[in-house]
Amino acid sequence: MQFVHTMAAAAATNTTWTPQTLADRAVDSVPHSLWLTAGYFLLAVVGVAALLSFLGMALIYIERKIAAHFQCRLGPTRVGPFGLLQTLADTLKLVFKEDFVPPKADRSLHMLAPFLALLVPVVLLALIPYSPNVQVADLNIGILFITAIGGFGVMGILIAGWSSNNKWSMIGAMRAGAQIISYELSATLALLVVVLFSGTMSLTGIVLSQQEGWWIWRGHAAGFVAFLIYLVASTADLNRTPFDIPEGESELTAGFHTEYSGLRFAFFFLAEFINMFTVSALTATLFLGGWMPFHVGDWTGFNAAMDTIPPGIWFLAKTTAVIFVIMWFRWTFPRLRVDQLMHLEWKVLLPLGFANLFVAAVVVLTELYPFPLGK
Amino acid sequence: MIHAIKVAQEERLFAGKSVSVAVITRGRPPGYLRVAFSAVTGLLRGLWLTLGYLWSPEAIVTRQYPENRATLQLTERFRGNLRFKFPNEKAQEDHAAFIEQLAHETQTHAHVAADLVREENETRWYHNCTGCGKCQEACPNASIKVFTRQGEILEDREVDRFVWRLDSCMFCNACVQACPWDAIEMTGGFENAVYDRRLLVYNLNRLAGPRINYIEEEENPDVRKRMVERRDRYGGEVPLNGFALPNLPPVTTPMESGSRAIDADAQARLT
Repeated sequence: MQFVHTMAAAAATNTTWTPQTLADRAVDSVPHSLWLTAGYFLLAVVGVAALLSFLGMALIYIERKIAAHFQCRLGPTRVGPFGLLQTLADTLKLVFKEDFVPPKADRSLHMLAPFLALLVPVVLLALIPYSPNVQVADLNIGILFITAIGGFGVMGILIAGWSSNNKWSMIGAMRAGAQIISYELSATLALLVVVLFSGTMSLTGIVLSQQEGWWIWRGHAAGFVAFLIYLVASTADLNRTPFDIPEGESELTAGFHTEYSGLRFAFFFLAEFINMFTVSALTATLFLGGWMPFHVGDWTGFNAAMDTIPPGIWFLAKTTAVIFVIMWFRWTFPRLRVDQLMHLEWKVLLPLGFANLFVAAVVVLTELYPFPLGK
Repeated sequence: MIHAIKVAQEERLFAGKSVSVAVITRGRPPGYLRVAFSAVTGLLRGLWLTLGYLWSPEAIVTRQYPENRATLQLTERFRGNLRFKFPNEKAQEDHAAFIEQLAHETQTHAHVAADLVREENETRWYHNCTGCGKCQEACPNASIKVFTRQGEILEDREVDRFVWRLDSCMFCNACVQACPWDAIEMTGGFENAVYDRRLLVYNLNRLAGPRINYIEEEENPDVRKRMVERRDRYGGEVPLNGFALPNLPPVTTPMESGSRAIDADAQARLT
C-alpha cells in the first residue's frame, strides 16, 4: 500500500531530521526535574504570547505599507523611522479609548466575544511547526484538530454580532457564519488531498513527507489545484477582501464589530491578522514543505547547498510569501456580492474540490509521483 | 460578461424611403469555460498591474507636504483660494526677483519673504476687473460681494473692494467661469488656518480703480497714480462679515504694524 510505502520511505530518508517539540521535551524532562517541565510550559506560554504580540505589530505595519504601495501611496512614515512605531501608537490609542457597550446589548456576551475570536488563532499558533525544534505540540490528529478549532472561530463573530443588538452587526455576523461554514468545506477538502498524499495528519509528519519535493508539485495537478482551492477558501475564511462581505463598509458600516470600540475592537483586529498568519503558515506547511528546504531529485550538490539555510528561515520565507499573496489579493480584487460568494463556493470550488480529491486518490493508489520516494 | 456584438449596415424602409441603419446583433453568449478563462485572466491582469505599482517607486503620488512646502507644485486643475489676476507681467517679474533676493538674504522660503514685504510699486496690482458683478451673481453661496465706486478720472463704474468670504466658499469655480474679463482665478494658496473666523473675509483687490487697459491708455503718470487707490486685505469695512464674535476685540489688520517693522528690517539688510 502507498501508505506503508510512504512511511517506510520517510523512515529511510529522514535520518537527518529528528523533530522535537516543546511538549516532547517537557514529557522527557519529567523523570529528571519537574522544575524543568514547568520551565518548558512557561516557555511555551511566553513564546506564544510573545509571538502573538509581535505578529500583531509586524503584520499590521506590513499590511499598511504594502497596501500603500499597491495604491501608489507611501503608508506610515511619521511615527518612528519609516513609521515603524505607528502600530504601537495606534495600539496605545485604542487602549486609552472608551470601552463602550451599547445600552440594550447583551453585556456579558458582548464582553466575551472578542476573546473567543482571539482564542482560535492563539491555539493554532501552538501547533504550527516553525522549525524541527520550535513547535509547542505536535498532535497526531493535527489536521483534524485544526479544522475543528478553525470552525470554532466563527462563534466569536456570531456572538459579537448577536450580542451587539444592532442590525448591521447581526447581518454581518450571519453573513460571516454562512461564509465561513461554506468555505470550511472546500478548505477541508483541499487539506484532505495533502493528508492522502502524506498518509498522516500530524503536521510534522506532513513536513517530513515532503523531503523529496513539496506537495504543490509532487502531487501533479491535484496538489497544485488543492493549493489554489485552499488559498481561495482560507482567504474567505479570514473574511478578507475579496470575501469581506461580513464587514463590507459600504453596506454594513463595519459588520459584526460595528459596536466594538477600544481594546475589544483591537482584539478582533488582532484575531484577523493572527488568523492570516496561521492560515499562511498552514498553507506553507501543507503545500510548500513547511520548514523543509527546497530539494530537487538527485541534485545532491544543490540539495546540500539548500540544506545550509536553516529550516526556520525556510518556514519564515514561505509563510511570508503566502501572507504577501493574501495581502496582494486584498489590495487588487473588488469585493464579491453575497450571491457570487455562494455561487463560487457551492457551484465552483466544492465540485472542483471533490473532483480533485478523486484525482489525488487515483494518483496515490497508482503511485504516479513525479519524484518517487525512496531514492 | 462579454457578449459578441456585431454591427451590420442594413437598408430598411421608413415611410417609403430606404434608409441605411446600423443593426446590432448579439451573438451567442460565451460558454462556461470561456467565461471562467476570461475571469481568471482578468484577475491575473489585475494582480500584475498592482504588482507593477508595488515595485515601481515612481508610481507613488504621495507628497510629503510640510517638508516639500518650498518646492510644492500644485496640479494644473487644483482649486485654491480665489484671487485676482495681476496682468502687469513686468512688475510681477520685478517683484518675484525682489522676493527671491529677499528670501535669499533672510534665509527663508519665498512665501515667507513675500509676507514680509509691502511693495510700494502699485503698478504690480493693476487688475482686469471692471466691477461688473457677474461673479457675485454666479456665486451659489453668496460668498462674493463686489463694491463699486464712481471713478474720479474716468467717471465710470470701477471696482472699489472685491470682498470674498472664504469661510462660506465651496470652491466650485463658478465665479471664475462667469467672469467675462478673466480677472479672477482659483489658484491661490490653501493654508487658511486662522485663530479668528473674521479673518476669513477679506478684500481680493489691492487697488480700487479701473481695468488695466484704461490705466495704460493714460500717458501721464501723475494721472495714472490718481486713477487708483490702495486697498489692503482687511482695510475698510468688510460688510459680508455678519458675525461679530462676542468677547473678542475688533479685527485689526494683521501685519499692519508688525510687518512694516520687519519690512524695514529686511530693506535695511538688502541695502
